[in-house]
Amino acid sequence: MKLVTFIHQKNEERIGAIDNLGRIADLHRAYGSYLREVESNPAGEQLAAIVLGRDMVEFLKRGDEALAAARNALDHIASHDVSGGIVFAREQVHLKSPVPRPGALVSAGKNFSDHVAEMASKKGPAAPVAFLKLPGSVIGPEDDIPYPPEVKNLDYEVELAIVIGKPCVDVSQDAALDYVAGYCAFNDISARDTIHGENKNGIHLMGKSFPGFAPMGPYLVTADEIPDPQNLKLKLSVNGETRQDSNLSYMIFKIRDMIAYWSQMGLNPGDVLTTGTPRGVAAGRKPDQAPWWLKPGDVVESEVENIGRLKNRIVRE
Amino acid sequence: MKLYLGLLESSRPDQTRVFGAIDGKLLDLNPAYAACLKQSKNNHANAYELAAFAFPESIAAFLARGESSKKALDEVAAFARKNGAGDLSGPSGERVSYDAKEVRLLPPLLSPEKSFVIGFSDKARTEALPQAEIPTGYYKLPQTFVASGAPIVWPKFSEEVDADACLAIVIGKSGRRIPAERAWDHVAGVTLVIDITARDINKREGLTTNNLLGKNFPSSTCVGPAVLLPPSREEIEKMEVELSLDGTVKQKFALRDCVFTVEQIIARWSILGIKPGDWLAIGASMALAGDRLQNPAPLRIGSTIRCSAAAIGELSHQVVAAGGLR
Repeated sequence: MKLVTFIHQKNEERIGAIDNLGRIADLHRAYGSYLREVESNPAGEQLAAIVLGRDMVEFLKRGDEALAAARNALDHIASHDVSGGIVFAREQVHLKSPVPRPGALVSAGKNFSDHVAEMASKKGPAAPVAFLKLPGSVIGPEDDIPYPPEVKNLDYEVELAIVIGKPCVDVSQDAALDYVAGYCAFNDISARDTIHGENKNGIHLMGKSFPGFAPMGPYLVTADEIPDPQNLKLKLSVNGETRQDSNLSYMIFKIRDMIAYWSQMGLNPGDVLTTGTPRGVAAGRKPDQAPWWLKPGDVVESEVENIGRLKNRIVRE
Repeated sequence: MKLYLGLLESSRPDQTRVFGAIDGKLLDLNPAYAACLKQSKNNHANAYELAAFAFPESIAAFLARGESSKKALDEVAAFARKNGAGDLSGPSGERVSYDAKEVRLLPPLLSPEKSFVIGFSDKARTEALPQAEIPTGYYKLPQTFVASGAPIVWPKFSEEVDADACLAIVIGKSGRRIPAERAWDHVAGVTLVIDITARDINKREGLTTNNLLGKNFPSSTCVGPAVLLPPSREEIEKMEVELSLDGTVKQKFALRDCVFTVEQIIARWSILGIKPGDWLAIGASMALAGDRLQNPAPLRIGSTIRCSAAAIGELSHQVVAAGGLR
C-alpha cells in the first residue's frame, strides 16, 4: 500500500492511500463509506476517524488494525461506485510529506564509503553516526525549499527514509525490519557553511534544520511491498543533471544495523531514520565545490527505486 | 505565577489541565476562571466557553492565546486571592482547588518544536577551553522528557552518566529572525531542565561531530516543575540555579556566568523560528569551579538528584536501573 498525507481544500490535512486506479483515496471517507454501506453504521465516518487516527503518526500508532481498515477501505471503493469527496485525481490534491511531523528524525552521516572518501574523512565510523533534524523541517514531495538568506553553501543528499511502525526499544538486527512501517524518498538538505560553524563546538543542528530542509515522500510505501530495502537504487539530479547515482547496498551500517543501534534511544511509531547519502554531493566536488551548490531556481529531483521521486524547487526566502 | 501541567487522579492521560499556584493551593484554572466570570462579571451565558478558550489543555496552548489569556490569568489570580484560593469552586460547584499531592505533575511543556540546550556556554570553562564563538545548541527530543519525581532510568548502553542543571527560557510569542533588542518581548517565563548525559557515549559521538544517543534516551531530560511567568528580565538574570547530588551541591550558577546573553541566544535560534512553548536552556556544565571536564559528578543507581531555583521550585529524581531500583 502507498499511504499519503494530502490537502484537498481548506488547508486541512487528510490521510489517504493510492487506489487500484492510481487515484488518491481519502481514507477516513473511504472507510466511513465502507462502514456505512457494508456494516450499516450510519455514523461510519466518525468511527473511521477513531479507527484510523487523525494524522499519519496516529494511524501508525494504531498498527495492524488501522492498516487492515485502510485495505478494507481500498477494496470497498474498488468494487463500488463511490460518490464525490472520496477519491481524487493526483492533480486535484497537494501532497504533504506522508509523515508531516515525525516524532524524531534521525539522519545518518558518513554511511556510504564513497561519500566518506569524498568528504575527506580518514575512515568510516566505528559505530553508526547520526544527528537529529528538527521535525519542523519536513516538507512535501513537491514543495519549494526556501533558501535562507543566512546560507551560502546549500547542498543536497538523496537518502531512503525508514518510518518506524511499532514501539522499538533495544531490538536485534535480526528483528529490526519487523519494526518498519514503510519507506519514503528523502533529501537531507544541508547548509554546509552553517554546519562548519557549528562543528567547531561538535554539534550539527541549525545547518540541517532550516524550515524545508527535509523533503520527504511522495508516498509511505508499506514494508510488505519492499522485500529487500537494502538493494534499491538512489538517484539525484539538479536541473536534470545527474549528481548522485548509487545503491543502498553500499551502506556501511545497513538498515538493520541502524534500527538496532538507534532503538537504544527508544523509537516510536512515526519516528524516521534516514540512511545517509552516497557520493556526489556538492561539498565533495573536486576541485571546486562552487558549481554544484544549490541556487534559487534550481530543481532537485531525488529518487529511490520502487519508492518514488521528490521534485523540489529552490526558492529564495 | 507558577503554572503547572498535570492530571487529576480521575483523569484520562489526555485530559491534561493547567494549574496555577495561589496561596499554597493548585487551582484548576479553567473552571476557576469560569467561576470568576460568573461571579465577578455576572456572566451566566458563556463563562465555560470563555474559560476553556483562555485556559486550554496545555501551557503551550495557553501561551499561544497571547494577551487575552494573560489578562484572564491576572483576573483569576485576583479573584482567587480575594475569595481565598482554598474556598473557590466552579460555577456549578465543581472542585477547582487542590493540594499539590493530589495532582500528578507532567513536564510543563510536553511537545515543543524547539527544545534546545545551549552548549559550551560556561565562562569558567572557557578558561580551560577556547571560547565558543556562537551559541550552538543541541536538541533534546520531547520523547525524553520526564516530570519532577519521575525516576531517571539508567541507560543500559552507558557506564558513565551525569547531570547538568539548566535554566530554560520559555518562549511566549512566535517570531523568526528576532533582533537582539526585541528578544525579551518573546520571553514568557522560565523553567528548570536537568540535562542527563551518557558521557562515555557523548565523548565518542563528539569525535564525529554529533550529539545524539548520549543526550537522548528515555528520561534524559527532566523539565519543570513549573513554568514561572512572567518574571522580569532582572529577576531571570539574577536567578540562582543549584544542582545537588545526594545532598551535596555540585553546580550553582546564574545567567551572568554564561558566555552568551539571552538576547544573543534568541537572536541566533529564532533564525529557525520560535513558538510559544519552545524552550532554550542555558547553563549545562556550569560547574562551581570550572573543573567540569576533569571531574564530572557521576550518577549511580540509587542517587538522588535535585535541581532548584527559589522562585521556580525543585526537580527531584532518583536514578534507577532499567527494570527498577537495584
